[in-house]
This record gives sequence, structure tokens and C-alpha cells, in this order.
Amino acid sequence: MKRVDATHNVLKDLRGLQVVVLHPRDQDGDELGAQLQRIGCQFETYWPDLDVLPVGTDLVLMAVRPETLSQRYPWMGRLTSPPVIPVVAFENPITIAAVLQLDAYATIASPVRSAGLMTAIAVTLHQSKARRHRERHIERLEQKAAHQRVIQQATQIVMAKRGVPEADAYQLLRSQAMTQRESIESLASGIVKAQATLNL
Amino acid sequence: MRRTQPARLAPQPHSPTRLASRKRVNACFLLNLKWLHELLLPCASARKHMSDTRAIKIGVLYSETGVTSAVETTQQRATLLAIEAVNAAGGVMGRELVPVCLDPACDPSRYALLTEQLIVDHGARLIMGCYMSSTRKAVIPVVERHNALLFYATPYEGFEYSRNVFYAGAAPNQNILPLASFMLSRFGTRVAMVGSDYVCPYESNRVMSDLIHERRGEKVCEIYLPLDAPQASFLEVASQIKAKRPDFIFSTVVGDGIAKLHRALAASDIDPHLTPVASHMSSETEVAAMGADLAEGLITCSSYFQSVNTPENRRSVQAYRARYGADLVTNMCWEAAYFQLHLLAEAMRQCGTDDPTLVARALRGLEFEAPQGRVRVDEHNNHTHLHPRIGRCNRYGQFDIIASAPGRVPPDPFVVSHQAPAWALGLGDTSAAELLVEGR
Repeated sequence: MKRVDATHNVLKDLRGLQVVVLHPRDQDGDELGAQLQRIGCQFETYWPDLDVLPVGTDLVLMAVRPETLSQRYPWMGRLTSPPVIPVVAFENPITIAAVLQLDAYATIASPVRSAGLMTAIAVTLHQSKARRHRERHIERLEQKAAHQRVIQQATQIVMAKRGVPEADAYQLLRSQAMTQRESIESLASGIVKAQATLNL
Repeated sequence: MRRTQPARLAPQPHSPTRLASRKRVNACFLLNLKWLHELLLPCASARKHMSDTRAIKIGVLYSETGVTSAVETTQQRATLLAIEAVNAAGGVMGRELVPVCLDPACDPSRYALLTEQLIVDHGARLIMGCYMSSTRKAVIPVVERHNALLFYATPYEGFEYSRNVFYAGAAPNQNILPLASFMLSRFGTRVAMVGSDYVCPYESNRVMSDLIHERRGEKVCEIYLPLDAPQASFLEVASQIKAKRPDFIFSTVVGDGIAKLHRALAASDIDPHLTPVASHMSSETEVAAMGADLAEGLITCSSYFQSVNTPENRRSVQAYRARYGADLVTNMCWEAAYFQLHLLAEAMRQCGTDDPTLVARALRGLEFEAPQGRVRVDEHNNHTHLHPRIGRCNRYGQFDIIASAPGRVPPDPFVVSHQAPAWALGLGDTSAAELLVEGR
């Protein structure tokens, strides 16, 4: 294993973490709280209802139990929702299916032990950051692909109107965009829209 | 209840009489209960009193052979010395403490095996022992399974909590952090790191690396050697260090390797006054093993030095020497083992039993006047509030204390990003600075 040179940022930031614990105040709940305190995270405990997530919540530790499988939390499943670490007491198909719906990266098994929580938190924060990064990347790629399609269409229109080859049509679009101080995408989309209107 | 039920179900030819007799039966029953209760009470306490005379077995699991046996032997002797002191004072609730010593020979799997033996075959569920982290990790699942308690008297790398373990040695915020802060602010930020190849050195060097990085310093090398590395490997390391000319050497070498390292540095003409070795894993015992001439100038951080000037320390060092030899030296692990046994005895006195669950409960928050000063078991993490000091090895193999924490420092075993404590930076502590300059 290669040793990492500097301490990972996810670990460095642990003490600034705002954690919501959605868990009954039982032995597992106490153990979670005690270990969060040792790690040094800020946390608040709720059970079973939590309609509004406190502002600035970075992470949710959540008991997944048969009696609350039907519980719906309005703040879950959004793009901006914090990651969830399920605390699983009943390792049966129904509960595991519920866990899968939470898109978790790590789980905590009941009975809760002090060991394992810090790793679960680190893995979850690291992976959820990576996922957000990936999603933004995909969004940008999709946008780029859409732009390419529009530019392609506009090039075709210019080729037909002016009777020039594709390379010249594209150069024309580019120089027009530059003189009009506009992006090539918006110029292209203007041409495509105008053509559609003229064809009516 | 059960005895009166058949009467109610039986045919009732003389109903009023039956009712009256039932009342009488109930009253008798109540009287009987009260009488029984009174009869049982002295009986129970007599039984308790009888069981009170049974000895309390204390498992002692320190290596008498192997790479770290020198320091582990001092921990074993400290434990035995404390047990004898407790017994001489009448034991615990009149019960004698009886040590059961087994030799795990520095092998983690033997630690696990012998822990099980102590618990199952010897009936000892209170166990003092372990030195290297690998041995502690091997013992933890066993003590958790049997609800036994492990008393761990060695500084370690932190990031651990088990309700079945009590930690009397320093956590990184109580030794590495002050030592790193002290060295980086006094000697400079170009650091050579050499350590034994196991978990504790890796984690110690991570803490040191972060602090170097914060000060825009430089790690000139980071070398790990096997626990049983030969002298030749250390000579190679020493010549590498000499070539790089660091401001100081941060050593996390343990056991017999410590002497080999100092011998190699001396052979390579590295001046301990100009390029000192800083190591929170070296103590008076390792210094005695290698000879004071090789160790002079070594700087370490520990909550205990033999030179600590408290009545408790003077008394316990004297008792130790009277028992085991007039020329023996003590060390931080010796002291932790010594006060931890006393903490255990005090906890048993307070809860009136040797039951591990109740003993653990009594231990949390307990204080004891240890040789280093008054220590306290933390309620939340089972580690200990200690008195960190920076010491510099003198020509007699003892440590001159050149800086001390202004008060007891709480253990923080899970801290990732450390903040340098002011006392270790020597702010407003000119006497320490002068002492150090004098030493150079």
C-alpha cells in the first residue's frame, strides 16, 4: 500500500462536520453519539420525524428499521441532499432493499461499535464528493453535446444557403460569432431558430 | 400465589371459613416472607463475606522475551510492585490480589491465545498488559467477547476506543504533538524520519508531517526498518541522514532498534547537540540499555520521567529499587503500569466487587495521585488525563525536564488535525530555552 503524504482533507474536516442522527435514543443511539463526540463532530439527534433538515447538514446517520420503512423524509433524494449512512439492525431483504434506496456508500451494523464509524464517515464524504463532481462533469458533457448538435445543424444550413463546403461554413460561423462578440453556440442556435421560422 | 390458587378452585362447602383462612394464610405468607427476608439477609452477607476472602486474580501479560521485552519487563515489575503494595495494605476489601504472569514473547497471536487462557483457565478477567499496538489489537476481540478488561499502559497512536480497554499511556496529543511543536520551533523544520515498520510509527509520522507541512518545512527522508533490522541497516540510514543534514531526527524506532540507531548515528559522527534525536518512544530503560554516552542529547516528551520531583515518585522509585535492584531505572511505561494497577484497586474498593462491568463504571472519572502527579480516567474515551513534559537526556542517562504543560492535559485520541500547544513552543518559558542552549 502506498502511504499518502499529507492527511486527507476529508479527515482534516471531521471536526467541522454537522451530523444529523436520525435514531432512537437506545443503546445504539447512545453508542453513535458517544463515538461522534470522541471523533469531535457536531451532531443533533431526531427520531422518528424530521421534516426539515437543519441548515448546513453535511451527513445523516439514519436507523433503517421495519417500523419506519414507510417513513418519508421530504429532504431526501434531491441533488443537494447530504449523504446518508444507514444503521442496519435487521439484515433481511426488506431492510436491505430500503438501504439500497438510500444510495449509501457505507453502512453501520447494529449492535453499533465504536470502531468503523470514522471509516464509514470518511468513505461516505469522499464518495459523495466524487459523485457530485462526476454529476457536474456529466452535466457539462451533455451541454457540450447539445451545443455540438446545434452548431452542426447551423453549419448544414449555411452550406445549403451559400453552397460552400463544411469547413468554410464553419469558419463563417466562427468569424461571425467573433465580430458579433457572441458564442458560436448562441449564433448557431439563432440560425437554426430563424431557419425553422422561415420554413413555416 | 401458586399455593393459594388451588384453594380458590377447590369446592367450597364452608365459604366464610375458607375466606377467613385464606386471609390468615396470606398474612402468614407475608410474615413468612418478612421472616425469610430477615433470615436470608445475614445469610447472604455471610456468603458474600465468605467469597470476599477469595483472591482476586490479575492477569499480567507482558513479554519477558523478544524485541520489546526490556520495557515490558519493567511494566510487569511495576504491576507486581503495585500488587504487593495493595496486598501489604490489606488487599482490596480484605481480598488478596494474585498475579498470573504469562509470557507472550512479543507475538500478537500468542497475546490473543494467552488472554483467552487467562480468562478461561485462570479466571482472571482483569488483565494488565500489551505493548505494541499489534498485540493490543489482537487482545481486544478476546476481552470484548468475555467481557474482561484490558489495562494498557503504553503510549500509542490513538484512534481507538473499546469499553473493555483502559489506556494509561499518552495519546498523540499528549506526546507527539508537544514534542513535534517543541522540536520544529527550536531546531528547525528540515526533519529526517526513521521508524520501525508498524502502525504506531506511521501514524506518528503523519502527525509530524502535517506540522512540518504547516510550517513549510521539509521532510528530508522517511525510512521504516523491520523490527529486527540488523545494525548494518541502521548504519546505512545514518549515512543517508548525515548526507541530508536535517535540523533534527524524528525517531519512532522501538525496542532493541533504539540502541542500534544511536550507535549508528554516533558511528557516523552525527553530533547529538547539533542534530538531536527526538523520540517519544525512547525512555530511561532504553537509555540504560544503550549507555548514557550514546543517548545524551536525546529529546523526548513523556508524562513521566524518573526525575519528576514528587513525593509519590520518590517513594515508588525507592520501593522499586528495594524490590528489584538498586541500579534499576524507571520509565513512562513502568509508571503507567504502576498507577493503573492502583487505579484498578481503587475502582474495586469503590464498587465493592471485581466484576468487570462495575469496575469499568467505577474507573470512569476516577483520579489517583500517581508518581507523575494526579491523573484522571476520562469518562468518555477511557484514556487518561496526564502531565506531559519535554525531557532532554543528560550524561547520567536521566532526563532534565526542559518544558512542562501548565496543567493536566485531557486525552484526545481521535483528533486528526493538531493545534500546537503554547507551552511546547516555549512561549514565555525562557528558562527552558536557556537550558537547551546551554546543552548545545
